[in-house]
Amino acid sequence: MNFGIAEIICQFLVGISRSMILFIVCAGLSFILGVLRVPNIAHGSLYMIGAFATFSITKIVGGTYGFWVALALAPFLVVLVSLVTERLLFCHLYQREHLMLLLFTFSVSLILGDLVKIVWGAEYRSVPPPELLKGSISILGASFPKYNLFLIIIGPLVGIALWLFTTKTKIGKISRAAAVDREMVGVLGINVSWVFAFAFLIGCYLAGVGGALVAPTVSITLGMDHTLIIEAFLIVTIGGLGNMWGALVGSLIFGVTHSFGVLFWPQFAIVFPYMAVVIVLLLRPKGLLKSVW
Amino acid sequence: MKRIFVLTSLCLFVIIMSIFLSPFSIKAQGPIKIGIVDTYSGPPTTYTYDVRDAFKLAIDEINAKGGVFGRKIEFTTRDDKFKVDICLSMAKELIMMEKVDILMGTINSAATLAVSEYCKAEKIPFIVTFSKSDKITGEKGHRYVFSVSENTAMIGKAAASGLAKRPYIKYWIAGDDYEYGHALADGVWGNLKKLKPEVQLMGQSWWKVGEPELTPYLTAISSAKPDVVIFATGGASMVNAMKAAKATGFAEKIPMFIHTATEHSTLAPLGLEAPEKVIGTSNYHFYYPDTPKNKAFVKAFKDAYGREPKVGALYGYLAAQFITKALIKAGKMDREKFIDALEGMKVDSPVGEIEMRAYDHQAMLPMFMGVTKKVAGYPFLIATDIVTIPASEVMPSIEEIKKARRQ
Repeated sequence: MNFGIAEIICQFLVGISRSMILFIVCAGLSFILGVLRVPNIAHGSLYMIGAFATFSITKIVGGTYGFWVALALAPFLVVLVSLVTERLLFCHLYQREHLMLLLFTFSVSLILGDLVKIVWGAEYRSVPPPELLKGSISILGASFPKYNLFLIIIGPLVGIALWLFTTKTKIGKISRAAAVDREMVGVLGINVSWVFAFAFLIGCYLAGVGGALVAPTVSITLGMDHTLIIEAFLIVTIGGLGNMWGALVGSLIFGVTHSFGVLFWPQFAIVFPYMAVVIVLLLRPKGLLKSVW
Repeated sequence: MKRIFVLTSLCLFVIIMSIFLSPFSIKAQGPIKIGIVDTYSGPPTTYTYDVRDAFKLAIDEINAKGGVFGRKIEFTTRDDKFKVDICLSMAKELIMMEKVDILMGTINSAATLAVSEYCKAEKIPFIVTFSKSDKITGEKGHRYVFSVSENTAMIGKAAASGLAKRPYIKYWIAGDDYEYGHALADGVWGNLKKLKPEVQLMGQSWWKVGEPELTPYLTAISSAKPDVVIFATGGASMVNAMKAAKATGFAEKIPMFIHTATEHSTLAPLGLEAPEKVIGTSNYHFYYPDTPKNKAFVKAFKDAYGREPKVGALYGYLAAQFITKALIKAGKMDREKFIDALEGMKVDSPVGEIEMRAYDHQAMLPMFMGVTKKVAGYPFLIATDIVTIPASEVMPSIEEIKKARRQ
């Protein structure tokens, strides 16, 4: 098949825009993995709650600003849900072994999934993109959705914000220190329990942002949590556990191989990102970038 | 002593089991019992609630007039959670414990086929209300199974018949990578090749079921520049495909055909955000055909439930009409007589007179091909330029059924 340069550029950008949502969600997952050492399967459910909350808020506020209000508020609703689960459940279990934590977070994900069903019902939901970002623009003759362009801009902004938070703020530095040696941080007289809770909430906030950002591009439905969490764990693993930039690299590999797979070999496109994962893990079993584990 | 105990308990067990299992157990002249096993949890409820609600509406009306031959009709529902094993055990429970005379359901093709086999062995009439596999009344059809819903063979024929009349030559096929998606695509393409041999297949894209982001697929397809794309999608991907088509401006550039794209179940959740100019097919629209019969049906449904009826409502209505009319013709609750009465039976419906074909027990439904459009006065898109594809062009021929059944 012959493709013009415009189509290839366009497809590359579509891949990147998809990577950005994955990156935001995975950065949160990776942050929790790094600081708390919790492989949080319920992270996907929080992402789903973020998307459903975006749907409701957009609908309640309505008008041109509905989506923007939702984008600002929905992640905080997710934070509220995770604050409750953290204080009630997670904070008692941080010291347990990983297998147990996997099972535990998996059950939390099932509970949250059912809660979503009770609150929002089982129907498909749909959020329209905001007025400003509707339709598409032309890149060298190939059309590219405006909303995806917005995603390409917002992804790096979230990345920079998270980087500034972990390196420049006090609480961010304490979180990183706690990731390396939690006992030492405790000895210094810092309330480790609250540091962990805070780190957990930051991670969950990112899941909520991801959910809010994905809402206008997909149908919001039960089960979107489990589809995402599998991809997210793969990305975090190939990027290096707990490494934020690893999450970025992993997401880009995943998103871009997928969109090029679709362009060049559409019948087998599903396979490409997973093949990329296998190759990375064969060459670098500990992930591409330095893992904090 | 121990031996006597074992023997008596065995005897008791056999007696109890024979009471429970016997289809000929004596019954009082109470109501006629119908069991419905269907998915009443999760996303499929968008479709199944309408079947149940329209069925209830029709049955209530018949009971208000005194029922059939002096007996009321009563129905019980069970949730199969879209799972084959649960569906089968619920069907068994309805037949053995609830002693239903007639069984109805489901929306899951695999579950329907399993229940159908069971009903064949137990000689229980089974009215299929939503499953779309053409095996149900085709290859795996038998005396005790009937379908009041369209199936993949009919969708394929209808879509091919409608598309062949349009000037497209270069086709692309895209869809959900599972049984329904491939069956649908094969059905449309096979029939289209027969009707219009010059059509070419440029390529195919298949994504995993529930793939959240279809934008990369659509941008890739649009760079291949086909004349038209056939989308073989169901459930959640439907809404995803429509959203991605709108965002990328795909629908503006390349005509798309999606079965059920014009259906209210797909268009309602999208509101005014659905793309225009998408070609779709459906068995039913609440605004078409514009006949007094359909208007009365829509009004009754809306008064009772406060929403417009979707395609499932037609299936529920048809099931109720076929059952009651066949019962009245049979004159009493006798399963064999009921089946004889139902074969070749015609009932009036919101989409005109529908016949239950005697040979394969498939309801002969017409199909409506239309194009999505924003129309003032509706808070969602509706189908316009509707062309009716008559049942004669939609139904698989008796020869095809015989071939599938190797007769």
